[in-house]
Amino acid sequence: MSKPTNPEDLLPLTPPVFHILLALAEEERHGYGIMQDVARQTNDALQLGPGTLYGCLKRMLAAGMVEESDERPDPALDDERRRYYRMTALGRRVVRAEAQRLADAVTAAKARRLFDRPRAGVTGGV
Amino acid sequence: MPQSILMRWFCRAYLVLLYAYPREFRLQFGGEMQQLFRDRCRQMTRTPGLWHWLRFAMQSAADWMSTMFQERMAAVRELTVQQCAHKTFQVVRTVWSAGRQTQPRGFVAEWTMTLIVFLFATTTLVQAYVVPTGSMESTVMIGDHMLVDRVAYSDPGSWESHLLPYRDVQRGDIVCFHYPEDVRQIYVKRVIGIPGDRIHLENKQVVRNGQRLIESYTQHIDPRDEPYRDDFPQAPGWNTTPRGRDMFANHVRDGELIVPPGTLFVMGDNRENSEDSRYWGLVPRDYVVGKPVVIYWSYDAPTADFTGWSFDHMFDVVTHFFTKTLWDRTFTVPRARQAEVAQ
Repeated sequence: MSKPTNPEDLLPLTPPVFHILLALAEEERHGYGIMQDVARQTNDALQLGPGTLYGCLKRMLAAGMVEESDERPDPALDDERRRYYRMTALGRRVVRAEAQRLADAVTAAKARRLFDRPRAGVTGGV
Repeated sequence: MPQSILMRWFCRAYLVLLYAYPREFRLQFGGEMQQLFRDRCRQMTRTPGLWHWLRFAMQSAADWMSTMFQERMAAVRELTVQQCAHKTFQVVRTVWSAGRQTQPRGFVAEWTMTLIVFLFATTTLVQAYVVPTGSMESTVMIGDHMLVDRVAYSDPGSWESHLLPYRDVQRGDIVCFHYPEDVRQIYVKRVIGIPGDRIHLENKQVVRNGQRLIESYTQHIDPRDEPYRDDFPQAPGWNTTPRGRDMFANHVRDGELIVPPGTLFVMGDNRENSEDSRYWGLVPRDYVVGKPVVIYWSYDAPTADFTGWSFDHMFDVVTHFFTKTLWDRTFTVPRARQAEVAQ
């Protein structure tokens, strides 16, 4: 598989891929760590199953968005069966481009008054 | 603690499910996926309640079904020629994205996947049959709906045999097979003779290779002695079919049937009320479909109701489902049983 160097070629990302990249943006994590973080990000709306998670990771590894890490950040919690994954430079550019794309979409929605304002801010009717 | 038992059971089931993924994928991620699943289960044990487990089971099953299919398709894609591969990819991607655009996933895509897997499973691995006649009473009754394991006796070389435990047909096994005189019909009987066996009946008792058998599973409802039926192989009677006559002509020697290679001699457990190999001859080994694994539903109705579709029967089922379902037969397993040898 030829690796595209242009992040735009990989857009749009599916929600699981996007959230996995978000999870890896902070630090490198193992599979269960990614799963927990994705659940946290989405308020438990997106519970990645093992098949979905590793299916995505497989494709992301092939596309060069993530790579396996040799380091073991937390030796106390370590288990040799766990592998840690880290975001590559390409992955970072892709997630940034995707976030930008989503932000643009949100702006467009706002311009058409389709975007709900934060609930707390709503005090009166239109 | 029941939850830890549940967890162990879940993990074991998941280990088996992992085999549905392509080999490459399994080798690369299988261990991690198992670990992740176990971690997830451990997390589940902290939130009590059966409802959570049920939801978790459903989520996991949906995850497994859809991703297994994805990975299988991906594996196929890597094998084929590039252009062809590209086309397949586009089709598959359309199907996938139908299931991914929204959150929660597309209802249609989810159920399509489920249906595909279900159809695959019910046509190649197991199949459902209903028993319309009483020839196997008291082991299998009229109105028993059962699942038949189609790969139990698959040929040693075929692909299914690598996936599932395989063994050859043995004496005492209950088998489903195509009725040789009309292959559209499926019959269920017990195997009495395998190739090479010498068989005859003496006053309802089977004598196999010179040994008298005591068969605990049979039922005798007619005290009379009818030579053709009860002292097989006597001279063929009026109801011997062409294949039956062929058996009498070519494979009976010195008052004994010698089962030829590649065939089986089968009889119903309801010996006096069973049309079986005594009348219509031997079953070619290739005609065997499989063996019954479980009776999932048993309904009390006459033979005629199970041979064709009728509105009356449907109405009867709807109105009498709870009273006419034979609950104690539901989820029973018709077992293979070995006959004892009389001294």
